[in-house]
Amino acid sequence: MNSPLDAVALFQIGPVPITQAILTTWGIMAVLLLGAFALTRRLTLTPGRRQAALELIVTTMDTQIRETTGAEPAPYRGFIGTLFLFILVANWSSLIPGLDPPTAQLETDAALAVLVFLSVIWFGVQGGGVAGYLRSFASPNVVMIPLNMLESVTRVFSMFVRLFGNVMSGVFVIGIVASLAGLLVPIPLMALDLLTGLVQAYIFAVLAMVFISATVEDGTPKSQKET
Amino acid sequence: MTLDFWGLGLQAVNVLILVWLLTRVFWRPVAAAIVARQTAAQALLSDAEGTQAKADAALAEVTKAREEIAAERAAMLASAAQEAEVAVQAKMAEARAKAEALVEAAKVAQGHAAEAARKEQTRQAATLAVEIAGKLLARLDPNAVQGAFLAQLVAAVEGLPEQDRAALTRGGTLVSAAALDDAGQARIAEALGKMPGLTFVVDPALIAGFVLRTQHVVLHDSWQSDLDHILKDLRHAA
Repeated sequence: MNSPLDAVALFQIGPVPITQAILTTWGIMAVLLLGAFALTRRLTLTPGRRQAALELIVTTMDTQIRETTGAEPAPYRGFIGTLFLFILVANWSSLIPGLDPPTAQLETDAALAVLVFLSVIWFGVQGGGVAGYLRSFASPNVVMIPLNMLESVTRVFSMFVRLFGNVMSGVFVIGIVASLAGLLVPIPLMALDLLTGLVQAYIFAVLAMVFISATVEDGTPKSQKET
Repeated sequence: MTLDFWGLGLQAVNVLILVWLLTRVFWRPVAAAIVARQTAAQALLSDAEGTQAKADAALAEVTKAREEIAAERAAMLASAAQEAEVAVQAKMAEARAKAEALVEAAKVAQGHAAEAARKEQTRQAATLAVEIAGKLLARLDPNAVQGAFLAQLVAAVEGLPEQDRAALTRGGTLVSAAALDDAGQARIAEALGKMPGLTFVVDPALIAGFVLRTQHVVLHDSWQSDLDHILKDLRHAA
């Protein structure tokens, strides 16, 4: 018997095995893109309910970024916001019968963690240059360089494991309960899974933002910080 | 449990593409719409501030105009009050002058009335005094009084020039208060030098005394004529 944690390739494109998680991810991408395109086609100066809801989402995202990091949200809004939306929709895709959320697969969460790891480097270099990024490892002093280097890997690893563990466990519990107790019994657990999915998406996005902003701040020279 | 690195890489690429697309399709347009509306709102606020400034300026101008109107009104009121005061003073002076003229006229009229009353009273008093005197004289002894008057008449006749005495002898009237007896008539004839052609008339109104009338001379010597003279003098004096 195969482990439920193993991804089963449905078909292959060249050397790349295409699993259900990848297919679901493409579906989520299509839904998000089509939805975004449809919702943002006619933006006006006098917003209706639809535009007001969209602006509320963006404004809330900006507020969260600003309150979490104190930085201007514009450079981070696209990456952090998309991470949050994707993880949230992926987590909630478990509500569709027959679908497993992509975030319940190791590859998806690991890919997200890798992207956060790379974005920390990207925004760190953009904020303070290569020297600034390297300087961020010496914060608060050079003795901490090995620990900071180790932390830069472990913290994203912990993010990835946390997301994977929570979502995968929710899927497992619901699957086990559904197999044991019938159709309606898992509904409260599914509701709880909705909450868990929202909280995990929020935690993942906020932690990514915290890591990025910490690196940018540590890499900024003191003279620029004071000004 | 194994990690499919092909799948990991593909998912990373998928999410990167999603980030890139959503940034262009969703995040930027919505954020731009927010910024555009904020800019429009800011422009509206600026316009409103400009309008507010204009309104404040207009309000200040109106306030200044109102203050000027109020000051002008106060000045006009003060001027009107001053003019009214002058008019009141003039009217009061005019009224005082009229009143004084009236009082003066009343005093004059009162003085005239008092003078007239005083004259009337004096005249009445003179009349009364003459009447009283006449009545008192009438109580005296007629014969003694007539004798005294006769002596005076004889002396007067004797004192007349010869020409007048001759005129008396040509006729006349001798009026007496009481009938003159023969002795009296003889004394008169003696004074004239001969018996004149006199007619003797009695008039009690004379009280006492005589009135001698000829063609050219009238000689009064009676209390009545004296009282008439006194009354005339008193009235004239009044």
